[in-house]
Amino acid sequence: MKKNAEFLIKNVKGAEIPGSAKVNVRYKTLVNFAKVYGITDPKYVGSEEDGIVACHAFANHFTIKAVYKLLLSFNLVQDGKTRGIMLDPGKLLHTGNVYNWESGADVKPGDKLNVSGSCEDVWLNEKNMILFYKFLVNVINQNEEPVCDVVITAGVRKGGY
Amino acid sequence: MAKFSDYNIGYVVKDQFEGVTRELLRAYAKASGDTNPIHTNDAVAERAGLKGVIAHGLFSTGLITKLFEDHLEHEKSGKLIEINIEMRGMVRCGDLIITEATVSKIDGKRVFFDVEQRTITKVDIKDKNGNLIKQFEAGERDYVSEKDIERGLVKTKDVPEGILTYRERIATPGTAIIELFE
Repeated sequence: MKKNAEFLIKNVKGAEIPGSAKVNVRYKTLVNFAKVYGITDPKYVGSEEDGIVACHAFANHFTIKAVYKLLLSFNLVQDGKTRGIMLDPGKLLHTGNVYNWESGADVKPGDKLNVSGSCEDVWLNEKNMILFYKFLVNVINQNEEPVCDVVITAGVRKGGY
Repeated sequence: MAKFSDYNIGYVVKDQFEGVTRELLRAYAKASGDTNPIHTNDAVAERAGLKGVIAHGLFSTGLITKLFEDHLEHEKSGKLIEINIEMRGMVRCGDLIITEATVSKIDGKRVFFDVEQRTITKVDIKDKNGNLIKQFEAGERDYVSEKDIERGLVKTKDVPEGILTYRERIATPGTAIIELFE
C-alpha cells in the first residue's frame, strides 16, 4: 500500500494529465441542469432562439467529465505493469473544489469545451492511509477563451491506489 | 439591486433548500453526467457501506453558486468570481441544507465571503415518555453515528407533535468572492 503511494507521489506529482476531455454544450443540457436547481431566470432557461448561458453550477458538469475521463485514463507503468492512478473508482472521495470564473467567457449552447489539466500535488495521510491528489483543471472554449479554472482535491481510500 | 453601500463586515446572505429526494438525485445524475450509482441506487450505496444513497458532493456546490446568482440578480449588479469549498459531510435525502455567506473582507469592488453550508438531518419525533411518534429516513437507516453524538451534533427541540431529534453539522465550509458593478 505504502509502496504504491510512494510510487504515485514520485511519478504523478507535477505531471501533466495525458489527453483532454471534450464537452459539446447543448441547449437542452443547460436547461435541464439549471432546472434541477429550480432556476427559472430566462438567462439560463429561456428559449433557444433568444439565447441562454450556462448557470455557474454547470461547471460541475465539465468537472465531472474531467474526473471520469482524464483521471481514470491516466496510466503509468509500475514494476513492468500498466496501472491507473486509481485502481478502484469506488474508493474515490471528492473532498474539495475551487471554481474561478475571473475573466471567464460565458458558456453557451453550441460551445465546444476543451478540458485539460495537471497534478499539482500528491500526498499520503498516514493516519487513515488516504492518498490525496490536487489537480489543476483548465477549461477553454472553441475560441481558446478561458471559461473556468478548477482545482479539484480528491482522496483515494486504501485499496484504491 | 445589490450595491456596494449595502455591504459591511458581517453582512449575511442566506438561503435554504429542503428538496433533496431520490428523484432529484436521479435528475442531477442525468444532467451532470455523474452517474455513480452510490447517488441513485440504495443497494449499491449499502454495499459501499453508506447505508443508503448520498447526494453528489458537487450538487451542494450548485446551491452556493445559485445563492450568489440570485443575490446578484443574475449578473445585473455584479458577478461571481470564485468559490472555494471543502466537502466534509454527506448530504442525505430529506436533509435541510442551509447555505449562509458572511462578508469577511471588502476590497474595492470585491466582496469576500466565508461560506458555511449546514445540514439538518431529522431522525425521529417522540412523545415526552419516549414513545416513537414518527421516524424519518435517518432513523430508519441509522445515519446518525455514535461519533455524531459524542461530538454534540445530535440535538432535540420541541415541535407540535412532540420532541424532534435531529443532527446539525457543517457539510461544506468555504469562501467566495464576488465583484460588484457599481
